[in-house]
Amino acid sequence: MPGYLADLRAPGALELAFVRSPFAHALIGKISGPAVTATELGVGDLRLGGHGVAPWPWPALARGEARFVGEAVAVVWAETRAEAEDLAESVEVEFEPLEPEAPRRLFERTIDAGAVDVCFQRAEHVLERTFSCARQTPLPLETRGVLAHFEAGRLTLWSSTQIPHILRRGVAQALELEETAIRVLVPEVGGGFGLKAHVFPEELVAAQLARRLGRPVRWIEDRRENLLASVHAHDNEVLMRAAFGADGRVLAVEADLRCDVGAYSVYPFSASLEPATAASAIFAAYDLQGLRVSARAVTSHRCPVGAYRGVGTNTAVYATERMLDLIAGHLGLDPLEVRRRNALRHLPCTTLGGRELDSGDYLELLRRVESVSGYEALRREQAEARRQGKLFGIGLALFNEHSGTGQSEYRSRGIEEVSGLDACRVRVTAEGRIVIHTSSVEIGQNHAPAYRRLTERMLGLEPGRVDIHEGDTDVCPPGTGAFVSRGAVGVLDAIAGALRLAGKQDLAPGTDVTCSIDPKQVFPSGAHLAVVEVDAVTFVPRLKRYLAVEDCGNVIDQRTVSEQIRGGVAMGAGKVLLEESAYGEDGQPLAATLLDYLVPVAADIPRIEIEHLVSPSPISAQGSKGVGEAGTIGAFGAVANAVADAVAPLGAELLELPYGPQRIFAAIQLATTSKQKKGRRLGG
Amino acid sequence: MNVEISLAVNGREWAGEVEPRLTLADLLRDHLALTGTHLGCEHGVCGACTVLLDGQAARSCLTLAVQADGRQVTTVEGLSEDLLPRELFQCGFCRSGFVCSAEALLRREPLPRAVELPELLAGNICRCTGYEPILDALSARLPG
Ligand code: FES
Ligand code: FES
Repeated sequence: MPGYLADLRAPGALELAFVRSPFAHALIGKISGPAVTATELGVGDLRLGGHGVAPWPWPALARGEARFVGEAVAVVWAETRAEAEDLAESVEVEFEPLEPEAPRRLFERTIDAGAVDVCFQRAEHVLERTFSCARQTPLPLETRGVLAHFEAGRLTLWSSTQIPHILRRGVAQALELEETAIRVLVPEVGGGFGLKAHVFPEELVAAQLARRLGRPVRWIEDRRENLLASVHAHDNEVLMRAAFGADGRVLAVEADLRCDVGAYSVYPFSASLEPATAASAIFAAYDLQGLRVSARAVTSHRCPVGAYRGVGTNTAVYATERMLDLIAGHLGLDPLEVRRRNALRHLPCTTLGGRELDSGDYLELLRRVESVSGYEALRREQAEARRQGKLFGIGLALFNEHSGTGQSEYRSRGIEEVSGLDACRVRVTAEGRIVIHTSSVEIGQNHAPAYRRLTERMLGLEPGRVDIHEGDTDVCPPGTGAFVSRGAVGVLDAIAGALRLAGKQDLAPGTDVTCSIDPKQVFPSGAHLAVVEVDAVTFVPRLKRYLAVEDCGNVIDQRTVSEQIRGGVAMGAGKVLLEESAYGEDGQPLAATLLDYLVPVAADIPRIEIEHLVSPSPISAQGSKGVGEAGTIGAFGAVANAVADAVAPLGAELLELPYGPQRIFAAIQLATTSKQKKGRRLGG
Repeated sequence: MNVEISLAVNGREWAGEVEPRLTLADLLRDHLALTGTHLGCEHGVCGACTVLLDGQAARSCLTLAVQADGRQVTTVEGLSEDLLPRELFQCGFCRSGFVCSAEALLRREPLPRAVELPELLAGNICRCTGYEPILDALSARLPG
């Protein structure tokens, strides 16, 4: 392994620095200094916009107008990064600030299934709330980076990316090169979490300059750029109405989602990512008679929104689970009981939102949560803590999520640029070693042991004969890359398929076979429980305990699964308690350093208890399902509900993430003033 | 304007001219090719760039190379592989910082107690693991 991107030896490489817009919206006037602008760069647009998606691509460098703070306006280079940054400082740009533009609608998904109106007419109760999911960012510890070299008519692009083949395709489009004239190589990647599953303007610029300058060109992002101008996530508002009976059974749900996708549509996913995934995830683990959802992607003068561990499912599960707790509170029922009464009972089935759930046992998930957590005793502990004046909360979440998205689902969402295929090539060397190349890439999920074990098992090999080699478009078969937990679904299936082909050739040296799979989505599920204590003076919430009962079908590698869940929970807990890419009224970002964008540290995360339930998928060949997002998604529901439950005795109702001390304080203030008003009204 | 400095890095002497603004991190990574020390924020928060300066944990992104003049620097390359093995991590980008922070803690007298670890390591961000494997591995070496 050559190390991470910034560790690569690149003799003679020029280092890039970008001149970025300090305004949320401005006309770009004269640029003086040694900088290259959009016109001089001459890079084309990335192709975006299939069925239902308005194309609104993010240009390599801003053309005429800058549309968010941090947008790259021009580029400079020098022998060292420090000198390049000095140069960038010296460039003067005449900006003429503009008023914000009215939001453009780039995508809309609607669902209207079952007897929604009848249910609302008949229901004994209706509850309506607006939940908001803060704008956040994935924040891998390693920032973005790219190293480009153009030699003998061929472009070699090292990138810290989750999507080598899609990057190759995007760069080929924008630079008008043949895909075969580009080789993408992926070094060690210091975390991705979806952020590195895009083709970024800086990659196009580096590639084009390498071609023009005839020297290697490198760009290493700094953290400020990462916080302002990579991709953000969420920034969704959900107006939700639920119709339910006195027994807590939810009959129908209506939801209106507004997803602020920022200044541009990202490549390859487009602006449809959050609304499309969120829409189908609303109440997806529960039995409804009616569901009506409208989910829109609209632009703003903020950083573009892209992929992030769990994408829209986080918002949907957050709103769904909060609503269920509000229903339980409204009726004086236990939240676990309300979930039991509403959980889907007969799987496989197709939800009203169109999810074709392949397997699972949601009641058993809830039973496990109940028994493993010692739920009754925990509620007694809570009662006792409350008597002592402590703000002690218990939160639950039941959910499913999609993994291994294939071609047809992407096409139906208007996403043309993601092939949706996963592929594996198996080679047998002259020495009889088995080399596995996949279309995926290692980004810290540590999938090699699972691939190796599967190979050894299927071929009946002794350990030590299998090599895994990924992240090189010259030798790996084309496919989708590493996101939406494809590894445990399509990639494993492709490996199995390729191994079967290789087996047919008796693993003779020289064997070279490839198998490509179009996976069908499979749906892992989980029930999580969180315990939170909110400090009664400072209102700082602390996560005290966390239990994840997980069902990701057949488990190929126990350790990897647990690691994914644990890391995912920590991330989701951060999203609920701390993280926010906030903007001021004027479109200026308020979180430009890690002192303003807070992420969980060791003291914030308790030991995560993990329990496994196994409902093999009848769809994926190994019976397995993806697990990379489950921890995060579950925490969006469970941790949020736990904080809300902690402060519920004060009459406070939390609706806006993150649930930090300020929001908690504001909610308590609101509850106190409205109680006083009511008191006054009664008295007077 | 360059300044002449000399320091010992992982026990080996290094002397040379550096720009006054050069950070210790950039000296290590760009001039000495010790790329095991990583940069996660370059503004002193994430802890990825932690090294030992005369045995104490220091953020090499906030330390200037000239401040290390005449001192002993230890980086992840100079510490045992077994202290916090690679398998404990996922992407591994945070590892070098944790290794150096952990080494600094293990050199303390008296040793900190295992229960204090989450607070003591709160200056190192890991985005992948949820911290548990790292804390467990280190707790095993400390009094309870
Ligand atoms: S890089 Fe030094 S603390 Fe983050
Ligand atoms: S293992 Fe990825 S940041 Fe720690």
